[in-house]
Amino acid sequence: MKTFVTGAKKAGSAVKKHLLTSISYMLPLVVASGLLIAIGNLMGGKQVTSLAQMNFPNSMTTLGVLGMGLLPSFIAGYIGYSIADRPGIAPGFLAGQIASFLGAGFLGGIIGGFIAGYIALGIRKIKVPRWANGLMPMLIVPTVTAIFTALIMFFLLGQPLTAATTALNHFITGLDRSQRALYGFLIGWIGCADFGGAISKIPNLICDGLLLDGIKGPEGIKVLAAMVPPFGITMSYFFAKLFHKNIYTKREVENIEVAFPMGCCMITEGVIPIAMNDLLRTLPCTWIGCGITGMISYGWENESSVPSGGIFVIPAMSKPLVAVIALVAGSLVTGILLAIIKKPLTAEQVNEIANESQDDEKDVDLSGVNLQ
Amino acid sequence: MKIVCVCACTSGIAHTYLAKAKLEKAATELGDEIHIETQGTIGTENALTPEQIAEADVALLAVDIATTGNERFKNIPTVKVGTSLVVKAPKKLLKKIEEEIKERKSKKE
Repeated sequence: MKTFVTGAKKAGSAVKKHLLTSISYMLPLVVASGLLIAIGNLMGGKQVTSLAQMNFPNSMTTLGVLGMGLLPSFIAGYIGYSIADRPGIAPGFLAGQIASFLGAGFLGGIIGGFIAGYIALGIRKIKVPRWANGLMPMLIVPTVTAIFTALIMFFLLGQPLTAATTALNHFITGLDRSQRALYGFLIGWIGCADFGGAISKIPNLICDGLLLDGIKGPEGIKVLAAMVPPFGITMSYFFAKLFHKNIYTKREVENIEVAFPMGCCMITEGVIPIAMNDLLRTLPCTWIGCGITGMISYGWENESSVPSGGIFVIPAMSKPLVAVIALVAGSLVTGILLAIIKKPLTAEQVNEIANESQDDEKDVDLSGVNLQ
Repeated sequence: MKIVCVCACTSGIAHTYLAKAKLEKAATELGDEIHIETQGTIGTENALTPEQIAEADVALLAVDIATTGNERFKNIPTVKVGTSLVVKAPKKLLKKIEEEIKERKSKKE
């Protein structure tokens, strides 16, 4: 039983690694494509199909749309790479093309990537005579993997994948405003639950996936809510100052000075060193703030076709004004709550004599750390 | 102890470099020698040299994603962890690794 549990744990973390690898490679492509579309659209560009119709705005939009079309392939390709190394890339990209063909974008890309990756890994392990060694990575692995992937994807999974994607899209586009506000709150809250850590990755992954299927609202929440914890904590510092209440130590204030610009670029992690010192009070304040931002943004139908970039992509959102209101409201709530519930510090605590305590490390489970 | 290390996280802009900073600080305080290569979105920086790897007692992979060049470490003991663990408790991790290495050495003898 124990071996089964550890086995399952290992498999789970492997699957996560493959997914994260693909996202890591995919993000720059989505950001560039999303911004191209936004730039083009702002100038009235459209997607065109012939060179004769090409002008600057059209060229931006068209390239952006083409780039978005690459996404399922990027996902599947780099999942394949993560599983089977280089021989997994080509079949993975092909699996992504199948996903696009099926209209099953993101979901299809993930599933296709895993199928292609594991088939490629299996075929790589087959021993061949020495004269065929050169043929393995170049011809045998990609071709045979592609054949099996095609059979599975088209004939076995084709219909269920298409049906699942359509059902999901219908469900999301069918939500009314109060439902949207509720889901917006949830996405905003969970998406920042641990400031960009493992929990946040899950809803953020779903938002990225929906973007590929043309649903851009959740992506707007993701971008905005990620900025709320650093903005809110920065505001709380100033609010508390107004009432002559010190709630942060000098070192924490230095950290805020770093966390705020990071927050502008949508990197939430900067607040971790500050939040860590007082998790119980900080977390609820940021959760509520992020939730409110999500609720406003999604409830009033703000959309973002760009998945990353912080305040710099707000002008590219569908309703920049709603975006700003959502961001400010969420940050204000976080800031005010923190200023109220955080304990006031004495002058000595603020100046804390730099006693680098040895025990400020968290308790972690190191049983899995083994030499290999 | 001499350590060579690779750091890489999903977005390749934050945890990778947080982990690097934490490890460098922890290693200095514990008196270990550490060389850290980062594989961020910008690409590989501070690439490890063959000499550094040859001299190292252990290779530490603080990675959340698939990284390149892992075959370089096939001749030395390797430890693989996620970046968040490194950010949370770098010193405890280094101490634990040191213990494991000592254990292995004593077994060999």
